[in-house]
Parts: sequence; structure tokens; C-alpha cells
Amino acid sequence: MLSFFRDGFYKDFIVLLTLTILLGTGFSAGIAWALDAYFGDTLSDMIGEYGQYDIILHIQEASKEAAFRELERIRDQHFPGARLSETITIAGQANFFFGLPEELRTKEVMANLAAYFAAVPGLNSHTIISDPSILIRSVHGSVFDELAAQIEQLPGVKFAFADVGNMIVILEDPARSKELETEIRKLLAEYQLVELRFPMGFEVDTAQVGEEAIRLLEKELPGRKYRNVTAAQYGEDLDAFLKTLVEMRDFLLSYASKVHITADPGVYLIVGEQIAIQAQSIRPLEEGGILTDDNVVIEITAVSGSEAEGMIIRGEIAPAMESLEQTGFRIFSDGQIAKPIGQVVVENERYRLAYAIDESLRLLEELEVLSVQANDAVQNADAVLNTFQEALLQLEVLQVQMRQLNEGITGKGASASSEQLLVTLLVNGLFQSLAQAAVQAGEDSLGSLENLDVAAMRASLDQISQQIANVQSIDVQAIINQIQYVRDTLPMLGDEEIGRSIRLINTYIAGQVIPGERIQIMVEDGQVDEEQVEKLLRSSLDNPYLNIYSTSVGVINPDARSEIFRLLTEVRAIIAGLLAIVFTGAILILDHATVFSTLKYLRRVSRARTSRWQRVLNPVLFLGALLGAVVLAAVYRLSGAQIPYLSHGTIALIGAAVGWLVAKFAERFSPVNVKEFTAGQALGLSNVQIMREIVIPGSRPGLMNLLNRWKQQF
Amino acid sequence: MLELKNIWKTYDTTPALAGVDLKVRQGETVVIMGPSGCGKSTLIRCINRLTEPDMGDILVNGDSVLGLSQAELMAFRRKVGFVFQQFHLIGRLTVLENVMFHLVLAGFDRGWAEAQAAAALAKVGLSHVHERKPDELSGGQQQRVAIARALAAGPELMLWDEPTASLDPILVGEVLEVMEDLVRTTQTTMVIVTHEVSFALRVAHRIVLMDQGQIVEEGPPEVIFKAPVSEIGLKYKKLLVS
Repeated sequence: MLSFFRDGFYKDFIVLLTLTILLGTGFSAGIAWALDAYFGDTLSDMIGEYGQYDIILHIQEASKEAAFRELERIRDQHFPGARLSETITIAGQANFFFGLPEELRTKEVMANLAAYFAAVPGLNSHTIISDPSILIRSVHGSVFDELAAQIEQLPGVKFAFADVGNMIVILEDPARSKELETEIRKLLAEYQLVELRFPMGFEVDTAQVGEEAIRLLEKELPGRKYRNVTAAQYGEDLDAFLKTLVEMRDFLLSYASKVHITADPGVYLIVGEQIAIQAQSIRPLEEGGILTDDNVVIEITAVSGSEAEGMIIRGEIAPAMESLEQTGFRIFSDGQIAKPIGQVVVENERYRLAYAIDESLRLLEELEVLSVQANDAVQNADAVLNTFQEALLQLEVLQVQMRQLNEGITGKGASASSEQLLVTLLVNGLFQSLAQAAVQAGEDSLGSLENLDVAAMRASLDQISQQIANVQSIDVQAIINQIQYVRDTLPMLGDEEIGRSIRLINTYIAGQVIPGERIQIMVEDGQVDEEQVEKLLRSSLDNPYLNIYSTSVGVINPDARSEIFRLLTEVRAIIAGLLAIVFTGAILILDHATVFSTLKYLRRVSRARTSRWQRVLNPVLFLGALLGAVVLAAVYRLSGAQIPYLSHGTIALIGAAVGWLVAKFAERFSPVNVKEFTAGQALGLSNVQIMREIVIPGSRPGLMNLLNRWKQQF
Repeated sequence: MLELKNIWKTYDTTPALAGVDLKVRQGETVVIMGPSGCGKSTLIRCINRLTEPDMGDILVNGDSVLGLSQAELMAFRRKVGFVFQQFHLIGRLTVLENVMFHLVLAGFDRGWAEAQAAAALAKVGLSHVHERKPDELSGGQQQRVAIARALAAGPELMLWDEPTASLDPILVGEVLEVMEDLVRTTQTTMVIVTHEVSFALRVAHRIVLMDQGQIVEEGPPEVIFKAPVSEIGLKYKKLLVS
């Protein structure tokens, strides 16, 4: 085989190989570059040239006319000379570019840029696209200013500012982007945010426990700085939402009908199992029967021995104060009723609550009437007391007169006239005994009346009157209105709706880490090992459920434009790689297959007898594999191709496989005209002459054919 | 001039030549005959190493052909004209180019080569088809072009591998006529493989009969065809008589 090349054809072959590689490189890289340029231009039209714009405003399509007018106003008023243009509208969202004049690209303006546009009609969101820049996502608030100050000290950095939790670092020169990224990564690596997460429902004094944790860390893992930076952060909203969900679930659980199940002996219930009761259906449940819409299905939520709790997930029970007690049955998934499991008691808590509120309203209404009546009663009592006092006074006067009369009768007045004497005698005779009895009795009664504490009674009445007045001063109607409002606003939910809602909430929160209390500790000047800290704090804080998470205080992300162009570059590299493979296959078939088939023919006629091993280890096939590997590897490398997951070694192997296959089936791709070839041999032509004058001109058109024309004589 | 010593050639397990010895003198015309598959074509192809023999030696003017280097082999082949059964013309070249191109490639002046080619074509009666392509000619004409190509370089040895075998019977005559004329007018040593018995009888100085890879009989045609000793010879005699 080597003699074939040694004859002079090796020069042609080397030229061919070199040009093949160069052409393949140009072909692959050229087409990929053209595609890259095309898409790049298209993208530039869509997202602007590098550094041309600073912000993209995403506006609802319906508001874009109004938004544009407002943006023009903002531009004219605040940013004269700024560029404003509308770009593509995607999925109902219009996008406007806004580019500041160079002199306005200051930290103050950029930090507040989004605020200028906050009132633009239909504004959904914005994206800062200033170039050259580096985007650091999710920078922790506790280190933001400190970090920004450090970053701004780096040579090549103009300034850094905040944008919705991210930090955008504006650079002086895009060429230094990579270098500054590395520097910023180093700065970020000096911080580590360690988060202590406590289980749901675990109340923790974050300040105290945080300080305790820091003290432990400083003692056990010295050499670093620790700070308690527990504060509202990005996860706060989610935390609040999940907590609300849990509270809502608890509320719904308390509002739902209470189901208590007492299992029969030998029956074992499990959580999640469903059982049915007859409920409002007129037909009792029977084993083997089918559930109806009037039956109630209960899901067991807790089991303790033979007792279990559950909630209704289908159907309703009748509104009643009394508990509903019925036999529960297991049910199959198809609704068929299985064996009875025991007694089920259902208490309609919602009805009881509504009933209690109604009774309260009635009580309040009665109370209002009662207070009026009580007031009237007090006033009557007061009048009686006044009358009594007057009567008492008159009785006292009468008593005096009676005493005087008695004294007169008993002769104590010696100087009286004859008439008086007569009257006295008459009266004295008639009334002496009466007067004496009356005086005696009157003195006794009066004495006991005078013993009554009228003042105290009046004071008590005044107090009662005052309390009644106090009661009357209460705005009972307002209370009634409010309770009525509460009554009206009680959720109009049935047990089935409540049960389903609870299940849904459980399903949702089961897939989440329901945040309990958390403590965030900033570690500076070195990193700590998550597991080590977890082990230490779990034992020291005596909480085996404590979890430790360690995160960076910020993550460098390529900005949107860089990301798009990076993707484009990747696509270009992939296209170049694919084209390199296609080119290698094509060039091997069009050109090199001719050489392979010629070599195979020469081998066949020169060595008619070949061993099995010689046929298997055909050097032409190895030459094909070698050529394929060399051509593809070289074209792939020179064209800057890069297919993900394929190393250069793998690419060489692919090239070898393609070359081997082409060599194997070379006669099918480019058969040798044996008659002409033999004629050339018989006429004394060298191999190179046969190739140049007979084989190559008769082969498929290709690079080799083209190159051969320079040397071809006929 | 040409001496074949114990030539062996085997295709897979089938022996095509089994120890062939043959001597051809300068200017001699040797006709090799035998049934199809007896090894005639293999033998003639071994002479200029279009087929490499497995064993034996081939001497030309005392020099071993099998020991030639690639360059020497090419030089040797340029002195040997070879006419194939199926013409083996270059399809994309004109008739004139087919006849002259190996001369040019051998380093001769293009004008001289063209003149030589034209003369060779005239010798075979094809002066009028210089610019035609081979596929525009009849089979007989194509074979005559092939003969002209072989003659153009003035070979010392002409090897003919059944030159009329693939021609229509009516075209065979024109080729045999050219061949006979060449045998009579030139002193070139010729080894001809053919089935044309009457042609062999007319032109051969010696006839070699082969069967199953071996020479079974050889001698002047009048001897071979009149008193053959081999089975093949008897068959040819019968054919000639009929």
C-alpha cells in the first residue's frame, strides 16, 4: 500500500489532505459564522446593539400606546437625549428599549432608573441591560452595601447598584469582564450565609438563639467572623403564604364537622382510609351495596388504638345540634360498601356555631328591653321611697300630736277653760284608753320605721340606677349588628368543600418545606462545613430537627444579553461541529473513497491469497479510520466547533468510524474502472499517473478532482 | 527473448497455472490456445505482471521481470504492447488521445507522440476517427484503436489476450486482418492467446496448447494440428477439419 503513495501520489495526497482540512474548517466555521451573524443581527434588531440601551420595559400590549407617550414624556422631562424604541411584542407583552445618554449613566440615575418608570401604564416588569456589566443575583441584604463598596474598589468597575434584590456592576471595559467576574467571585467567596431552619411550629427567639449559635460557632469553629443577620429576606413572602395556608387549614379543620370513630373489636383503622355512613340517606348502608349521593364519606385523619378522628370529604350531614351517631362501613375505590368498622359520631360544629350566634343575638335584644324595664322599676322604687319618707314624717307629726293629746287628757294642763275641760273630759273618757293604746302602738311602729336605713336604700337604688344607665349606654345595637355581620360572613362551606380544601392544602404543603423559624448567620473570612455546623448546633441547641443550609450571598449570572449571545456562540459551535462531521463524511465519500477503492483493488490483484486475519486487518480500512479521525479532529478543532458532551477524543473516534465505513464501502461510493486502470498499468504508467489521468478524472467531482486538473495532461 | 520458468498462480484454492515453462524467441509469434479457464489469460498477464505469479520466474532477455523495481517494471511495460480482450480504452479521451497519451506520459514530446499515434492509427486503418470517443466506434474499430495504442510505442513484445473474443463474428475479420498484417510486416515478438484456429494456423510460428493450468502440447502449427498428441490438440484438429 505504501508503494502506491511512494510513487509520487503522496504529494498529491498531502496537498489534498491539507486543503481538505482547510476547506472543511472554512466550510464549517464559515457557515456557522454566517448563521451566527444572521441570528446575531436579528437579535440585535430585537434587543439592541451592545451598550445601546440600558433598560427593557415590559408593557402589557393593550397599554403600549399610552406607555409610549408616557415614556416619551419621561425621556423629555428627565433624560433628554435618551434613546427610546419599541421592539417585538411577545405573548401579549410589548417591549420598549430605553437607552440613557452617556453622561446620565451614573450610579444615582441607574439605581433609581426603574423608579422613574414605575408609573408607566401597563408596566409589568423591567430588565436592566446596561453594558458592559456583571449581574450578581440574590445578594443578601445584610452584605449588600459592604459588598458593593468592595466591588466598586476593584479597578475597572465604574459602580454597582441594586435592582430588585440583585446587584448590577457596571464596568468600564467589556474586555475586563471575565477578569472582574473572577475578582467578584473571590469577594463573594469570603462570605457564607448559614441558615438554621427550625421545624414548623417550633417557636424560637431568633435573637437569643442566634446569639447562642454564634457563641458556639466562635468557640468551636474559630477564625471566622459570625454575624446574626436574621431578617426579612426573599423567602418571607413564601413563608407568610405557607403559614397562612397552615392557619387556614387549622381554621377549616375546626370549622368542619367533628368525626369521632370507635372501631369495633378486631377492626384496625389506618390514616387515609375512607369509610362511609348513611347520613341523610333514607336507606341504611349494607355490605355489598353502592354508595349514593346522600351518603357521607369520611377520611380518617388520626388513629389512636380503637379510636380515630376523621373529616368528611364527600356529602353533607343534616344541620342539627345533636350528634349524629351511625355505623361506619369501609368502602372500596369503586364505591362499593365493605364491612362495618364501628360507630361513627359526627358533630356539626358549624351548625352549633351558627346556633350559638343566633341565641346571642336573641339575648342581646332581650337585654336591651330588660335594661329599659329595670330603669323603670328603679324609678318606681325611688318614688315609693319618697312617698314612704313623707308618710314617715307625717307619722312623726301625728305621733307628737298624739303625745300632746295624751298629755292633755292625762291633766297635765291645770289652767284650761270649762269648755276645754268638758271636751277633755269627754274625750278623756272616750279616748283615754284608745289614745293610750294608740300612742303605745304608734310609738312602737314608728320606732321600727325609723329604724329603716332609707339613705342606704336610696344609695342602693342610685347604684342600680347607675348600672342600668351604664347598660343602657352600651350600644347593644352595634353589637347586634356586628354579630349579625359575623353570622352573615361565616364561610358558606359544606363539609365536602372543607374536606377537599384541607386535602388540597395538605397536598400542597406536603410538597413544601413549611418554613418554621429560621436564623441567618453571616460567616466572613472563611467558610464553614454545613454538616459540621449542623452536628454542632443540633447537639448544643438540643434540637435534633434543626437543619442547616449554607448558601452564597450572591451568584454571578451573565446578563440577559450576554446569555443570549453566549447561547448563540454555543449554537454556532454546535453547528460548526455538526457541519464538520457532515463535511468529513462528504469529503471522504467524494474524494477519499476513490483512493480507498483504488488501494483495495491493487491489494486484491497483488495478493490474491490473503489470510482471514489479513482480510479483517485490512490496512486500507485502518487508513480510512486514520484519515477520518485526522480530518474530523482537525476541522473540528480549527473551526472552533464544540458539541456538548463530545470531547475531542470522541470526535476523533467518530471521524475514525466514518472513515472506516467509507473505506469499507468505498467501491460503492467510487468504484475503480478496472479496465482503464489495467490499461494504464499495461501501458507502463506509474501509480500517480494512473491516478491523475485515469482514476481521478473518472471519479466523482470533488476537491481531489478539482485539484487534479492542475496536473492532469489529458 | 522471453522465458517462463515453473510459473504457478492460484486463485483462492484453484490453481490457474501449475508449473508453466515456456520459451519464446525473438521475432517469434507464439499462439496459446486451450479451453476457457485453462490459464491462458493468466499466463499472458503474468508476463507483464498485471497478475503477479505466486511462484516461478519470468525472464526477458535474461532479466527477471519479477525482480524489477516499480520504475523498472514501468519501463519494461512500456516496451510491451498489450491488447486486451475488451479493448480497455479510456472512455473520456478521443481516439488519438487514447493512442498517444501514454507516450506523452512517458516523457515523449507531444508532437512526436501525436505523429506516432497518427501513424499507428493509419496502420490499423483508422485515420479518419481521431477525434471520436471510443463509444462512438464499433467494437472492431475500438479493438483496432487498442492495437494502435499498443503499437504506438514500438514495442519489442506484443501480448494479445483474446483480442477478438468479445467481438461480433462479422467484426472479427477486420481485427484478425490487422493482426495478420502486423505479424507479417513487423519483427515484433508476439504471444497471442486466441481461439481462432485458422488464424493461428496462418500466423503462428508455434502453437502452445494448455489445459488445466499446464502446457500439454506445443509445436509448429502444422505438427500440432496434423498430429496432435494431446486431447486438446485432437479437438482442435477435429475443429480445423470441420
